[in-house]
Amino acid sequence: MTTTSRYHSIKINKKKCIGCIHCMKGCPTRAIRIRNGKAVIQYQKCIDCGECLRLCPYDAVEPITTLQADLKRFAYKVAIPSPVLYSQFGTQTTPAEILHVLQHMGFDHVYDEARMCEMVSTAIEIYLDGHKTTRPIISSTCPVVVRLIQRLFPSLRKLIIPIEPPREMAAKNLRREISQRHKIAPEDIGIIHITPCAAKMVSINRPLSMKRSYLDGAISIHDIYNEIMMRIKKTNRSLLLDTERPVSGIGIGWTMSGGEIRGMKYHNTISVSGVLDTIRILEDVEAGKLKDIEYLECLICPEGCIGGPLTVENRFIAQSTINRLKRVYGEKKTVDVRTVHRLFKEKFFSFEHSIEPKPFPGLDADRAEAIKMLNMKENIMKKLPGKDCGACGAPDCATLAEDIALGVANLNDCVFCKGDRHDK
Amino acid sequence: MASQKDTFQQKFKIKGGDFIKAGESSCEIRNILKGIGIDAEIIRRVAIAAYEAEMNVVMYAQHGTIHFTVNPQEIGIIVEDRGQGIVDIERAMQPGYSTATEEMREMGFGAGMGLPNIKKNSDTFTITSKVGKGTKLEIVIKLNNTK
Repeated sequence: MTTTSRYHSIKINKKKCIGCIHCMKGCPTRAIRIRNGKAVIQYQKCIDCGECLRLCPYDAVEPITTLQADLKRFAYKVAIPSPVLYSQFGTQTTPAEILHVLQHMGFDHVYDEARMCEMVSTAIEIYLDGHKTTRPIISSTCPVVVRLIQRLFPSLRKLIIPIEPPREMAAKNLRREISQRHKIAPEDIGIIHITPCAAKMVSINRPLSMKRSYLDGAISIHDIYNEIMMRIKKTNRSLLLDTERPVSGIGIGWTMSGGEIRGMKYHNTISVSGVLDTIRILEDVEAGKLKDIEYLECLICPEGCIGGPLTVENRFIAQSTINRLKRVYGEKKTVDVRTVHRLFKEKFFSFEHSIEPKPFPGLDADRAEAIKMLNMKENIMKKLPGKDCGACGAPDCATLAEDIALGVANLNDCVFCKGDRHDK
Repeated sequence: MASQKDTFQQKFKIKGGDFIKAGESSCEIRNILKGIGIDAEIIRRVAIAAYEAEMNVVMYAQHGTIHFTVNPQEIGIIVEDRGQGIVDIERAMQPGYSTATEEMREMGFGAGMGLPNIKKNSDTFTITSKVGKGTKLEIVIKLNNTK
């Protein structure tokens, strides 16, 4: 099967891969097989959730993110770190200190995304106020959730809130502002996100609700962690404790599970994190069970973005750090609500176009053929042991049966069936 | 009429009063249809019809079966149960009419929209019932039109 990794954020390093089954077993869309002793990603089924990245004991699953060197081509460089970054260096390091350090790492400007998180949070409320009949409205923040819905739950795509997430809105605003203030052509400004996950690369390279992303790339927190830490250690301490900065705990806590709904006036809300739990809750939405829920926040990483596969800090320690910051900065909104209302009216936050459904391909493009193959698959299933051992190179017996029906595997791949044959 | 070979079928057993497992069969039906590559809008209609029918068995009957079939032309869902049956089908079909107990209503069921919802999402829908014996629903959703 020919596949392309061009638009995906994850690849297998064949030199490091030993062909164990960790990634294959953990893949929620069963997109990985072991072929010739190496893991192979079937990209047409990959949603870039990063589970494989998290599970590989040999660092053989690699994220594809932007490198700092890639930014050389831009005359003016801007970094928009995810607020997750504030949770990575312990409780003694303040956001201001981290932003300050970043500014000295080759960026002309560093923007605190927490501010835009607060604005988008207000925009979400305005949207909910104006759309009372469709429920539940689902968050658009996590690019993997949006893809998961597009591919696995296409009938729910109209429930996704048509408001772009803070990282995109921040970039949109900054490009406009900086271009005017410094008289630089918009295309000479390089704006990158500092990200806890590789999936942002996919939403930048292949956005689903706009023609072109406002971001030029995403640098992994993991990749710049050491340099930031080194600079923090070397900086003269007691420097920047800036509770003066106009930012609140609402924005700082946004990337934690429950962060989007916490400051909201709507109380009939649910926040879910983790890929399997997200799939389960979307199944409930699909069954029509959650019509009384106003807003559903789903984040694919455990505990939210602080549990992203490209983070360094233990996610529970990160959570504690963010909670402490939230107490310091308070939960009182700092954005001007009237400004958000005006921007909302101007459609500043809006999707450019709706999200197209793109369901996973069925067993065959022809319906009659697909049904025949489904029957074939059921018959093959009866011959398989149902132990889901993974030794055949497929994650479970049902997937092997499907692969056999599709003609890309055969019964001899099963170690148990092989035994059977020899016995006879 | 499609031949046997063109049809995929599966039977599901449903236990009355088992709210823990309720909804599992309709979820599996959805996944089967996604695997065949059926249109999302049709799956949405099947999902609602199958879920409501399954819940009716759980709430009102002792036990029942869902006989699910799919062929290139249509999806069939036959739900048969052994239970109290329906005294007045015409009334049961009216939106908002329900015989659910207070307890069930507290759990969020019994809005009286079950049967009307099934009908709304089906292309053909027949219901027969014998009081004290049970109820049979026959739901057909056609594949070539998007309602």
